[in-house]
Order: sequence, then structure tokens, then C-alpha cells
Amino acid sequence: MKDSGAKENVRTIVERDLHPVRPLWPPSKRALALMPLALAIVVGVPVINYFRPDFDTLGFFRGWGLSLLESCAGLAIVALGLRESVPGRVLRIAALVTAAVVGLAIPLVVLRATADNFNLGPKSWSEWRYGMACFRTSVLAATPILAASAFLTRRAFALRPVAAGILWGLGCGLIADAGLRLYCEFTSMPHVMLEHFGAVVASMLLGAIVSSAIAPPSRPKDGSRARRQP
Amino acid sequence: MEAYLEGRIEAFDALYDALAARVRRFQLSLCRDATLADDLTQETFLQMHRSRRTYEPGRPVTPWVFAIARHVYLMHRRATARRLRFEATVAADARSDETMHDAARVLGDADEVRHALRDVPADQRQALLMHHVHGWSFSEIATRLGIRVNAAKTRAFRGMRRLRNHLR
Repeated sequence: MKDSGAKENVRTIVERDLHPVRPLWPPSKRALALMPLALAIVVGVPVINYFRPDFDTLGFFRGWGLSLLESCAGLAIVALGLRESVPGRVLRIAALVTAAVVGLAIPLVVLRATADNFNLGPKSWSEWRYGMACFRTSVLAATPILAASAFLTRRAFALRPVAAGILWGLGCGLIADAGLRLYCEFTSMPHVMLEHFGAVVASMLLGAIVSSAIAPPSRPKDGSRARRQP
Repeated sequence: MEAYLEGRIEAFDALYDALAARVRRFQLSLCRDATLADDLTQETFLQMHRSRRTYEPGRPVTPWVFAIARHVYLMHRRATARRLRFEATVAADARSDETMHDAARVLGDADEVRHALRDVPADQRQALLMHHVHGWSFSEIATRLGIRVNAAKTRAFRGMRRLRNHLR
């Protein structure tokens, strides 16, 4: 840089604020730190409410197995969201879209693997109010892990907060859905799409909103900014 | 970079010396303004300092710094666009105020002129209005009023002089 005064200017500000900092853990490690919370949600939703009536007939894989797989997929997507919030590690748009599409498809794939017919529950789309408890339970269950992910994102520096929020919001929605499917046995499309899938989408949107709201400002509030030397 | 995270200013100096020129070139390629590129380079290093904890030890520093540099540029561009929009709105408001004032002034002036015209003798006023307001030529006025062209000129001239004196 030609202007040597500029360096001195920046150096003065940096020196004033220089203290040792502990670097953030890698995104995968931070996502793994959320695993106990994710497990608590998956187990907690059916334990606090009740297990679905056909839980015993599902068997281990179609019961706990698929839920654990779904929550692991959710954690992986949360990890992508946390990675997205680190400068220099942002995902390409194609990867972002792929992750979102795959994430949104997971609840439907899990439903397809669990149910043989899709006519249990409300048959009409106009009956959306019926079973609203599922939507509420799912969003409520996602809230603690959403808050934890928001905290982790806040500590990072998301250059595209909405993209990061969409990813970790989606991941949190999947984790909540993994618990919800152990509690709700309804398989009809109106119910699944509005209450279960809708809750995952709501969680994703909530993530985007929260992430953009908590994104750190690009400049400090006191406006301390290096000025060019005359 | 690890030494910088530990809080050593010499590490920052080394980082600055190694990267400042490249960051400035990068900013210059984006904004095409040397002075602005200098400002954005400073801002990049300050932003880098504020978010230094997000650097993952062991990973290359350059992509991290350049991601921040690009963000700084985009934030600047967004802020500039916002400021320009604001200034355009303010200018449009001012223009609209000015137009209102102009209209009021025109109306006021028109009243004054109308009032002054009453004091101009009728024959002079007629010639004056026919020539200056309706755009008739003096020969047309002469034909219409049945007077000579010079008389039409004189009437219009005297009427205008009287009007001007009255408005002064």
C-alpha cells in the first residue's frame, strides 16, 4: 500500500483492541456439540407426549433408526449452515440449493419408508386446523436447537446470514421432525404437508429471519473506522 | 495468523505487509477508484481484526481475508446505493417544494400584473396585450384597430413602459 500512514492508522486501532482470542471450533465440531441437544429433542418429543400407537409394529429401524438418521442429516445440514457463517468457507449456490432440496426431501422420504399407505389422518386440505398440535410441537421442539445454532452463528461472521440461517434452520427443523414422527402416526398428505413438512419449512424461514437479525454489523456501532491520513 | 490470534502485534504487521498490497489490488479491481480502494483496504483489515476469531487455524489465510475484503466492498456498495437513494429522495422533495414555490410566485406575479394593467390606458393596453400576449404583429394590430402601424408600435411601447414603471 502506497500510503504508509494508512498502515499506522489501522495498526493503532488494532493495537488498542489486541488481545488473545480463542478461534472458533470447526463447523463440524460445533455441530457435533449440538448432538446431545438433538438427541434430547428426538427422544424428548415422544417421551413428553406419547409414542405413536403403531410404534411397536414399526420395528427398530423404521422407528428409532430412521429418526436417528433424520436427525444426523439435520445435524449435517446445521454443520453446513455453521460453515456458511465462516468467511472464506461459504458454499457455492449449487451446493446450497442441493442441501436445501435434499433436506426438504428427507421428511418425505422418511415418511415413504415408514408408511405403507397414506390415508391415516385428515383427508382434506381444508382440515388444516385438525392436528395443528403437530406443527406447534415441531416448531417448539426446534426452538432450543435453533437458539443454540443462532448463538453459534452469532459468534461467527456470516457474510450471507440468510443463506446460513436457511441451512441451520432447515437442519433444526429436521431434528424436530425426527422426534415428531415418533409421536404422530398420521400419514395423510394434507396432514404431513401442512403440519410436518410445513413445520420444517417454518423452522427454515425462522432460521433465515433470526440469522439476518443477529448478523453482526459490518462496522462497530461506535463508528470507529480508520481515517486516511491527510 | 496463529501468533496474531494470540495477540501479538508483530504478527499483525507481518500479515499486513504480506496482504495489504494484494487486498488493495483486489479492492481496486472491484471499485476502480484508487482512493476508495485505500479506504476499503483499511476497512478490510479492521473487519478482519474484528472477526479474527472466525479464522480456523491450519486453513489458508488468503481465502478468509479475501472473503472479508469482498464483503467490505459489497457493504460499501450497498451503503452507497442506500445513500444515493436517500439523496435522490431528498432532492425530489426539494424540487417538489421549489415547484410549489414557483407556482405560488407565478400566481402572485400574475395578480400584480393584472393590477398594474388596470392603470395602463385602454388603447395602449389593447395594443400591448395583442402584441405581447396574443403574439400579433404590429401590421395585424394596425389593420384590426384601423390605425397606422407606427401608432400600434407606439401604443404597445408606451403601454409596456407604463406597466414596467408600475411594477418596479
